[in-house]
Amino acid sequence: MSLLSADGITKEFGGLRAIDDLSVSIDEGELVGVMGPNGAGKSTFFNCVSGVIPPDNGTVTLRGTDVTGDSPESLAHRGLVRTFQDTRELETMTVRDNVRLAAPDQSGERTLPALLRSDEMKNEEVAVRRRADQLIETFELDHLADEYSSNLSGGQRKLLELARTLMLDPDVLMLDEPFAGVNPTLTNEIADHVRGLNDDGMTVVIIEHELETLTSLVDRLVVLQQGRLLVEGEPGVVLEDERVIDAYLGGDVE
Amino acid sequence: MSVRDRLPSGHGNTALLAGIGCLLVGGLFSLTPLQAELPSVLYVFVEVGITFAIYGMLVLGLDLQYGHTGLVNFGHVVFFAVGAYATAMVAAQDTFSGIGLGYPWPLALLVGVIAAALLGVVVSATSIRLRDDFLAIVTLATAEIFHSIFVNFEGIFGGNVGILGVPRPIAGLVGDADTRVVATLLVLGGVTLITLATVTRLTDAPYGRVLRAIRADELVTRSVGKSTITYKTQAFVYGAALAGLAGGLFALYNGAVAPGFFTIQVTVTVWIGMLLGGAANHRAVLAGLAIIMGLRLISRFGLGVTPVSGDVFAALRLVVVGLILVAVIRFRPAGIWGDPQELGVDR
Amino acid sequence: MGLLQEAIFGVVTGSYIAIAAIGFTLIYGIVNMINFAYGEYLTLGAFVGFFTASTLPGPLPVAVVVAMAGGGVVSIALARGFFTPINDTGPVPMLLTSIGLGIAIRNAIRLFGGRSARYIETETSTIRFNAVPDAAVGSIDLLGGFFVTSEHLIVVGSAVAVFLSVHLLLTRTEVGIAMRAMGDDEDLARVRGIDTQLIRDSVWLLAGVLAGLSGVLLAIQTNVSPTTGFSHILQILSAAILGGAGSPYGAIVGAYVIGLALAFSTAVLPSSMTSLSSAVAFAILIVVLLVRPSGIAGTEVRKA
Repeated sequence: MSLLSADGITKEFGGLRAIDDLSVSIDEGELVGVMGPNGAGKSTFFNCVSGVIPPDNGTVTLRGTDVTGDSPESLAHRGLVRTFQDTRELETMTVRDNVRLAAPDQSGERTLPALLRSDEMKNEEVAVRRRADQLIETFELDHLADEYSSNLSGGQRKLLELARTLMLDPDVLMLDEPFAGVNPTLTNEIADHVRGLNDDGMTVVIIEHELETLTSLVDRLVVLQQGRLLVEGEPGVVLEDERVIDAYLGGDVE
Repeated sequence: MSVRDRLPSGHGNTALLAGIGCLLVGGLFSLTPLQAELPSVLYVFVEVGITFAIYGMLVLGLDLQYGHTGLVNFGHVVFFAVGAYATAMVAAQDTFSGIGLGYPWPLALLVGVIAAALLGVVVSATSIRLRDDFLAIVTLATAEIFHSIFVNFEGIFGGNVGILGVPRPIAGLVGDADTRVVATLLVLGGVTLITLATVTRLTDAPYGRVLRAIRADELVTRSVGKSTITYKTQAFVYGAALAGLAGGLFALYNGAVAPGFFTIQVTVTVWIGMLLGGAANHRAVLAGLAIIMGLRLISRFGLGVTPVSGDVFAALRLVVVGLILVAVIRFRPAGIWGDPQELGVDR
Repeated sequence: MGLLQEAIFGVVTGSYIAIAAIGFTLIYGIVNMINFAYGEYLTLGAFVGFFTASTLPGPLPVAVVVAMAGGGVVSIALARGFFTPINDTGPVPMLLTSIGLGIAIRNAIRLFGGRSARYIETETSTIRFNAVPDAAVGSIDLLGGFFVTSEHLIVVGSAVAVFLSVHLLLTRTEVGIAMRAMGDDEDLARVRGIDTQLIRDSVWLLAGVLAGLSGVLLAIQTNVSPTTGFSHILQILSAAILGGAGSPYGAIVGAYVIGLALAFSTAVLPSSMTSLSSAVAFAILIVVLLVRPSGIAGTEVRKA
């Protein structure tokens, strides 16, 4: 049974169909890449699945539960977490606070324990900080832990965003262009992290333009065109597909 | 890595202890024959200090809403007014006009806080999703509506005269004028310090982290699993309840409430105090408020030595106050003690 | 007084709100700010008109023109001095700046003009229609005799002239078309080679001229005091939001809705509570923001 599936998703903006009757299914433990030319509906697909915008039609199912139109926060609780294309850091917070924020179910996030400074809350904070610092170290941001995240470079922001989402220990991780604007060294690093997470059992869905990295990384490619599913399958097969070459690559492989 | 460096509890606890201390000493003055003697020069300072303590609760609540959560509440005075009126009407014995129920004052104060909080619930339930500047307009309009309701429904709210005959618990215990103002300052100052300790605890905890994340980027905060509407509503209602508490205490100190005490000027004063000091920093907003209220002192003294009328002087003061607001936003958007990076402004 | 009479008052009130609301909503749409000091522009215009009328012997139209010019100059000067430098800081700092500036201007006017209310004296002729029969429903008379003064006609006539001029400006002139383009999409307008700062300045000028006119009409029709503008700003704002913030045509409709609502609420409310009618405008504003935040035709004001 698939872990996450979208069935017949449609979303219109001012009469334009951003995605049109799109169905995609993702199995547990898969590493799936979503590609397509600009305006193919990749980000809209992500937004509809992750609850940022409700689809006009169709259903989204997570672990057999209908989660269509659920809020991003409730999906995050169910184990589906995403990043954003234009890296959205909480710029007015430090790197460490960015990561610590994401820790789920902290009792100190409720008024009374916060006011009473309960031992439970204090102990949790110790654990949260330890976990956050581990992640920050994993992504080699430890020298920046107390910097405001507005001071980070584009690549560092992508790393921070990844660290923040991992704080939630998600079942499904949806990455919207994690390599955009990132230098080749860092791209490889991020790809290695993603591969490692997937090896540990996390299901990952990636939108990406960076074809080379994507095709060598994923188990399966989903190609969208004008809001519809064009082709899906193993990267090698998909890239050989005539329709893909015509529609997306225009014969000019990057 | 100790607990301490994660939860900077220092000034929160100091404030708590100082607040309790103030309350105890204030209680001593009120309940025992102990008397204070106040040089007449200081009298005006103590009076302005009392107003500062009351406005301090307003600015701390507003800072919770705007400084931490980013909610632009430009009708803060309405919660202050509703708290004051509710307290006054429940406690007042012989009102000139309007309703006075004559219940004991602690109950009245509680009703005042609850009434303001309930209004906060209603306003946030309807408007918290609006864009920042439109939330400002709705809250401002709400304040204007209530102002005109208080003026117009004379049978209930006493019209322009307001509600008279509100019991003054401290004045009722202390006959001597000097002792009375000192005790009042201590008690109200103590409550403000305890308020400071409370909001500090709240914002130092993970709770405050969520609030600041909402101000930074609400969608990201939602995508990491935080129910932002709940937090925004809570922050708004807590701020409203604090304003209600300030209003109730004001009614019980002043012995009367009237529309003239609750004009947009109050909102403007606490906003300028907050921005001047530096939003999102509790001590800074109190310091900023102290500067703005210090201007009142200057104008009180200045009025005595300059040859202009009170009306001219008041107008001059407001010109200065307005220009301070303009200048702070332009030249020091993070305020005097605020952190520009934390507030996301250029300088 | 019958409702018919109140309706006439409502149309008159709606007319000067509409003139101001067009200016207000253009600033909102193109400079992207709620200008809370805008009411003060009306006061300034009214005072300029008043002093012109009382010092120069010229006919009334001279005072009106001077007031409009004064409003325009004030508006562009304040924009240059206070708003343009912080154009990039976002809506909230700009709103707060305008609130501070409004307080400063209002009290500066009080310093120089004193607290008392003034009005521009004009020769008024009143036309009465007494032949209309009463149609009482309860205590409210739906028809009844009514009157129209020459001042009423001046106000409504000016408003109609403004509507036509603004319409021509927005549809027939290069500047006006550029204004609309910028209101739709500023980046696109810039890409197309529109000098956005020039357009912003034009909007400030136009808005100031309209505020000056609205203010001087207020001084003719009723009176002005230093708080005149402030007591009208929420009505202007309500009209603009009701019409869909940024839409001048919507603002006209919104202004008349507000004007009529104010007049009718005066008729319905007991006489001891007539000042409550100002609350009615704000209540309408809040209801509009909650029920239909985009107004009659306009932009989204909720967060995504």
